[in-house]
Amino acid sequence: MYSRCIVIFSFIFVVLVLPIQSPLFAEESELEVLKKQVQEMQRNMETMLDKIDELEQKNNELEKKADEKTFFSVPETPAESELKPETERRVAKPVSPKQRGTTFLDKAFQTFNPNISVLAVFSAAYFSDDDPIVLAENDPENTGINLQEIEVAFQSVVDPYFRFDTFFSFSTEGVELEEAYGTTLLSLPLNSQVRAGRFRSKFGRINTQHRHFQNFVTLPIVAAEFLGEHLNPTSVEANFLLPVPWFSELSASIGSPDVETASFDRDSDSNNLSRLLYVFHLKNFFEISDSLGLSLGTSFATGSNGTGPGNRTNLFGVDFFAKYRPIKTDPYQAVTFQSELMFRDAESEEDGDLFDYGFYTQAVYKFHKRWSTGLRFGYADTDDQIAFEVEEAEENLFPPSGAGQISNEEEEEGVLGLFGKQYRISGMLTFTPSEFSVIRLQYDYIDQDFDSSESVVFLQFQYSIGAHGAHPF
Amino acid sequence: MKINFFNTIIILVLVLAGNLFSANISLAKVNIVATVPDLGSIAKEIGQDKVKVTTLAKGYQNPHFVDPKPNYIIRLNKADILLHVGLEQEIGWLPTLVTSARNSKIATKNASGNVDCSKFIKNILEVEKGSVDRSQGDVHVEGNPHYMLNPRNGLLVAEAIYKKLSEVDPINKSFYEINYLKFKKKLSLKIIEWEKKLKPHKSSNFISYHKTWTYFFDWAGFNLVDTVEPIPGVPPSPSHIAKLYNESKTTKINLMIQANYYPEKSSKIIAGKIGVNFLSLPAMVNGNEKVNDYITFFDFLIDQITSKLDS
Repeated sequence: MYSRCIVIFSFIFVVLVLPIQSPLFAEESELEVLKKQVQEMQRNMETMLDKIDELEQKNNELEKKADEKTFFSVPETPAESELKPETERRVAKPVSPKQRGTTFLDKAFQTFNPNISVLAVFSAAYFSDDDPIVLAENDPENTGINLQEIEVAFQSVVDPYFRFDTFFSFSTEGVELEEAYGTTLLSLPLNSQVRAGRFRSKFGRINTQHRHFQNFVTLPIVAAEFLGEHLNPTSVEANFLLPVPWFSELSASIGSPDVETASFDRDSDSNNLSRLLYVFHLKNFFEISDSLGLSLGTSFATGSNGTGPGNRTNLFGVDFFAKYRPIKTDPYQAVTFQSELMFRDAESEEDGDLFDYGFYTQAVYKFHKRWSTGLRFGYADTDDQIAFEVEEAEENLFPPSGAGQISNEEEEEGVLGLFGKQYRISGMLTFTPSEFSVIRLQYDYIDQDFDSSESVVFLQFQYSIGAHGAHPF
Repeated sequence: MKINFFNTIIILVLVLAGNLFSANISLAKVNIVATVPDLGSIAKEIGQDKVKVTTLAKGYQNPHFVDPKPNYIIRLNKADILLHVGLEQEIGWLPTLVTSARNSKIATKNASGNVDCSKFIKNILEVEKGSVDRSQGDVHVEGNPHYMLNPRNGLLVAEAIYKKLSEVDPINKSFYEINYLKFKKKLSLKIIEWEKKLKPHKSSNFISYHKTWTYFFDWAGFNLVDTVEPIPGVPPSPSHIAKLYNESKTTKINLMIQANYYPEKSSKIIAGKIGVNFLSLPAMVNGNEKVNDYITFFDFLIDQITSKLDS
């Protein structure tokens, strides 16, 4: 009986008490492990010392044998410099670390200045129509030479904890603070990273790309219609790296709707948390092989749209990107596919909910180190029954010349943009003399409501000076 | 007696469990991410089974132009040590990855695990002095970054890696030290062997595609007569090819070589015109299937070059 009691007791002890007690025992055993490790270290040290002796002996022997002068001293021995011919000695100027950074110029570089860069984008354009169709703010506007954008960037780490990136966008109309945000450099819980300031929201792919990094002269229709030139509310964003085997990043941001877009605007009548702009993005990247990578993302943005108190817009997006670059056989060739689909549900005062959608898809083939060519198709359907009536009413008032309609519709419909279907086909050929300049020829064919079409030819020039940060994939 | 038997079993089980629990702490491997296989290969030699080494760029890939794929962020996120070449070699792709890695061990230049290996090289070649601009092509202001092509620099990097590993994982310091000394011995003996092999060919005249081989030529005592690229990063123009042809009339060119990640077409045409042997060689460990570590890589290079120079 007694022994059975003991058995039961010990069973209970093992099952219940062990997890609680284990740290105590662990401490004891940790001591033992440490002891063992110290012993092992001692043994290792001994063998190591033996090894050193052995090595030294062997080295001495070898040195005698080879009759070579001090081998490990890197500062050049006479024997070594004899090896080098005259010309080589003149060309290759070895500089010791002490010598480096002593001239006046080097000192000037060593100050705490951030990296400064200027990127200029100009386009010569020819529009087939006298009233050009211009969808995005920084698209070329007139037949003639257009200044699309001068981007001035200041980038640097702040301290061991943050970095800060600033991008100003200059155009003939003035200056815009395109981005200015701090990024944490810390190991935060949940593998998160926080960005705070004004920045291009992670909504899809094109919205995070600056003009000079995009593959075409004009912005895709759907981005121009729904996001404006760019969606860059002043906000705070948390990015989480999800614990899955592939790259998966979830981003969530809260921002003020202080943006000029067709989808979002300030709600003038109310001021509360639900009127702010919330943007979510999930990005997945799959490395199929060394040469092929696929990126798939979904986005959601919701916020007030400014058409009336409490009216809001929900914007959904799906983005796809694939890059094939045969790094072993043809490293200077690459094919990329990029596609985005957006769906918008906007509440409006008189018209109720408006449902719009649009997409673009593009393929770019880099066939030479300096040359690439590409094709893009963009489509947006912002048609609506009520809108149709408005249009017809206007058609009766004004002669049906495309441009006149547009300007009036814009006035009529304000923030939600144009009504109607439109598509654009773009083809481009790009020459990249170096990584710092681009010359691009592009042809656009745009058709609005399938009744007014226009052809445009662009010749774009891009220049980049200074130290510009690297671009993400 | 029965009671004692049970008690001893229980104690045994507890001790075992405790041992396993605490042993786990020292079983964790040091995570090393190397931007190029040269650095990864040496880190593996020194860390052996106590480290996990992952390499970002492939050995057959131009290390200046690597796509900053997001899956590299996961690798950098877990890194205890990041080994990079420095001297702006990875400037076009590494900074954005390091920023996104959310890892304070490597996030800034001065972070404990961020190791710029060029800091340990004593003879940096082609350091630009005075004002530099990009009309000179893709110049590296701080110097030529291909220093791993002088095996003596491999010794310096190995020492730096051993010291950093001992700092990050002090318990295994002696283990790393022994491995370092072993590697140092192995490589030193090889260097003597290679230098003997190269000695008869010193002052040979070379043309290369890019200034990839500066350190190798400096070590071997070869002359770089000219490069196929007129300036770094710019493909050859007809006038530059004519210039190379004229140079070959006045100076006898012994061999033309290039890293196997550059296009071979124009080099082959030029080599044919001048009438000189042409070799496309791996410029890094894993540059082809035969070169799997730092030492076999140099064995292969020197074999190929000396046999072509002999013929």
